[in-house]
Amino acid sequence: MGGFWIYGQWQEGRFHPVVYELLSVARRLKPALKEKIVVVVLGPEDRREEARELLRYGAEEVLFFVHPDLGYFRDDLYSEVLSEAVAERKPAVFLFGATAEGQALAPRVAGALGLGLTAHCTAFEVDEEGRLLQIRPSFGENIMARIVSKTRPQMATVKPGVFSKAEPVDEPEGVLEEVKLAAVPGSALRRRVVRTLPRKESPLSRARVVVAGGRGLLRRENFDQLFELAELLGGAVGATRPVCHLGWISEDHMIGVSGETVSPKLYIGFGISGALQHTVGIEGAEVVVAVNSDPEAPLMKRADIAVVGDATRILPLLIRRIRELKG
Amino acid sequence: MHFIVCLKPVPKPGAVKVDPETHTLRRESAELILNPPDLYALEMAVALKEKHGGKVTALMMGPPNAADLLREAYALGADEMVLLSDRAFAGSDTLATSYVLSQAIRKLEPYDLVLMGKASIDGETAQVGPETAAWLKQPSLTQVKALWPEDGLWVAVRFFEGFEEEVEFRGPAVITVEPEVNEPRPPSLKRMLAVRALEPRVLSAEDLDCNLEKTGLAGSPTQVLGVFTPSYDREREVLTGEAEEVVEKLVSLLRTRGLI
Ligand SMILES: Cc1cc2nc3c(=O)[nH]c(=O)nc-3n(C[C@H](O)[C@H](O)[C@H](O)COP(=O)(O)OP(=O)(O)OC[C@H]3O[C@@H](n4cnc5c(N)ncnc54)[C@H](O)[C@@H]3O)c2cc1C
Repeated sequence: MGGFWIYGQWQEGRFHPVVYELLSVARRLKPALKEKIVVVVLGPEDRREEARELLRYGAEEVLFFVHPDLGYFRDDLYSEVLSEAVAERKPAVFLFGATAEGQALAPRVAGALGLGLTAHCTAFEVDEEGRLLQIRPSFGENIMARIVSKTRPQMATVKPGVFSKAEPVDEPEGVLEEVKLAAVPGSALRRRVVRTLPRKESPLSRARVVVAGGRGLLRRENFDQLFELAELLGGAVGATRPVCHLGWISEDHMIGVSGETVSPKLYIGFGISGALQHTVGIEGAEVVVAVNSDPEAPLMKRADIAVVGDATRILPLLIRRIRELKG
Repeated sequence: MHFIVCLKPVPKPGAVKVDPETHTLRRESAELILNPPDLYALEMAVALKEKHGGKVTALMMGPPNAADLLREAYALGADEMVLLSDRAFAGSDTLATSYVLSQAIRKLEPYDLVLMGKASIDGETAQVGPETAAWLKQPSLTQVKALWPEDGLWVAVRFFEGFEEEVEFRGPAVITVEPEVNEPRPPSLKRMLAVRALEPRVLSAEDLDCNLEKTGLAGSPTQVLGVFTPSYDREREVLTGEAEEVVEKLVSLLRTRGLI
């Protein structure tokens, strides 16, 4: 009974990177929660060795549900297997990556069992009562909410890329528990074809320098100058949600809860207020520079270097100056 | 065929107010709009109806003043308007919301498909679709890009990271539609005029035979304990002055730190 469960999502025969990120979350919370760290994996038996690999990353148990029909993700089937496992084994916590699959699956389990589910957590804490505090940016502009679940397991999803991956452990101590299912429920879904899509890995997530713009750049022509600066600095261009919606740039440049998470050495935000929905995406930045006419803007408070001024003037001047220096 | 499209009233971006006590949105205080991602679901349903016959029911849980948003949905091609409105629904999290929607959907039987937007722009959880399907014990398919009937079955194309899947299934089912997969039509003038004389059907918790322990705050297992503003007490440089001047200062700071 009990346990800190992590959904072991497959991706092309391996585990999705978010599984390792959730393992690092679980390991960090272990001293406070004292729950056994369990990765729950569904699949046919030939995936056993991959599943066992998770023990090397700090899983104390890999709970492997085996059936030939579990070869690929089907919402109804997977959620029934998981719901039954939860009802029987009563974990304390159950986390999922907020991937397409995780977001399709976690709410089905929550709905089936009548459980609370918190989307897109960016941090976790444990309170005196041993409850998991699920932290996420809240509705209004600049507040984070601490959320608890009245039901068990406490369920939440976490966006990939927010937490670092778990490092391998020296001496894995966990065990693989294989549960051979005699029968699984039928599924209403039958896969016909799978088409690989061109992987559009955003250059943002790995960029050393990110130059981002917000509504304070006032016009698209101003925003477009960010590309020049990005090129000069060998970086990538990021944006806030409103400017993506204004059509200044496509959504894959969005940084924040609804977009990418970045961790560059240098982030410069031009005309960005610094709403938490945006800044949760730049937590990993080493040096944050904000350029804003309003010295009280939240991003200015959060910055290492706060430049007070008109971003539409500073941006072209900065480009010129750096160009001069680079000769 | 009967398509039910769930539509959410959301505060117009930039106009959000949070109740200082419950930390939930105060919907009555802000101007409401149709959740933009839901328009793709509505368009998908209306296009299916036009091609294969049938009707589209626009279903919304919201305050009484959200009725006009249902009229907007009518102008966009919906045929029937149903508003779920009751004090008992206030403060519902995604589980309680999906419970209420599922109770209403049962009342609207028979139907072929329930369609929803991928997520709402205020909560952005993407949970209500699959949760509703779970209450109804029906299949759910998320992030659907295309959908058509074929030999008594449905075929959907849906997105995952790095691949898309073509999948066949038997309805009824709950579908969430990926944004930007179609072009929502502009409202029809004729329908705008026609809907003036129409009132949405309003259903209460009692009409839906809701168990009040499952709706509103009481039925919401997630609870906001409190909110906080993260503080960043760190050393920072504030650069002020003429634009040329601050650029000079900034460049030299970045150079000394080896950043450019
Ligand atoms: C559920 C949800 C999810 C969201 N997800 C995201 C997300 O993933 N990413 C995201 O970015 N946002 C997201 N948002 C939106 C977010 O809350 C903010 O509204 C948004 O980040 C603000 O964008 P902005 O800074 O461009 O605009 P504003 O908040 O309008 O800020 C503009 C700033 O520019 C400054 N300014 C104006 N003129 C000038 C000038 N000439 N020179 C210099 N400065 C100037 C102003 O002082 C102001 O600080 C989300 C919101 C919700 C509700």
